[in-house]
Amino acid sequence: MKLLIVDDSIAMQKTIERHLNGYDLEIVGTANNGKVALEMVKSKNPDCVTLDITMPEMDGITCLENMKKIKPEIKVMIITALSDKHTGLLAIEKGARGFLFKPVDPDDLAKAFDSLLNRN
Amino acid sequence: MEEQTTDEMNSTCQYFIDSTKYYFSHATKIDSTTSVPYLKRPEVLALKDYTGMISISGNHKGYVYISGNEEMFAELWKFFTGTEASKDDALDMAGEVSNVIAGNVREQLGKDFMISIPIVFQGKPDKMKMHGDNMPVYVIPLEWNGHEAFVVVGVGEN
Repeated sequence: MKLLIVDDSIAMQKTIERHLNGYDLEIVGTANNGKVALEMVKSKNPDCVTLDITMPEMDGITCLENMKKIKPEIKVMIITALSDKHTGLLAIEKGARGFLFKPVDPDDLAKAFDSLLNRN
Repeated sequence: MEEQTTDEMNSTCQYFIDSTKYYFSHATKIDSTTSVPYLKRPEVLALKDYTGMISISGNHKGYVYISGNEEMFAELWKFFTGTEASKDDALDMAGEVSNVIAGNVREQLGKDFMISIPIVFQGKPDKMKMHGDNMPVYVIPLEWNGHEAFVVVGVGEN
């Protein structure tokens, strides 16, 4: 499956990349804001996305809404520092497959990848 | 604006202490220690080499930042990514740490506690006028894995 990583932190992008070993996920791109992410959904046609919320240019929730219009079947895992219940529920309401609160450790990421790949 | 009580300020400060300690313990599996917070004098910047700062708006206003030496953020970068950090990478790491510490406080302060994207800088800026300069600002001394840093919290109710 093709994965797009969207986070304005390069550290977070590389952390996610690092822990993909053992998963059938091919990274087709990384984006540091929602606008770039939408362009990459059109050009790279990813199957799934890890998506931050607090980003410049376009936030993750707005990006999620627009991604779903472009490709309704796209699987989106929100990975955010915004740890309130409202944000998690809003993400699910807008079509996210799941959400993960930062800070993340490798076990958290494994659960997120399992969810994206329907392993659980 | 209503004046904040000492209890309100203390509890807000405690949320940031808890968030900071959780960040290091959960993400790195190495506990951090914090010392007793103290009030920052306006003329003191409380800055180290690298700083990641978040502006607060919504039901609160002000800012929070974490400031530490390059080595601490470089070590965090390597811990997460497995690669050596450039100076830009260490700055990026400072921004991400500040983002997570501030974002996690929404669990206590609610969805209307709005955080900005991180602002990162190296060294001491010539001018540092911050929203919230007229409210008490707490410095939380922090130690993680042999590195000393500060979390600085200037947050009040809006």
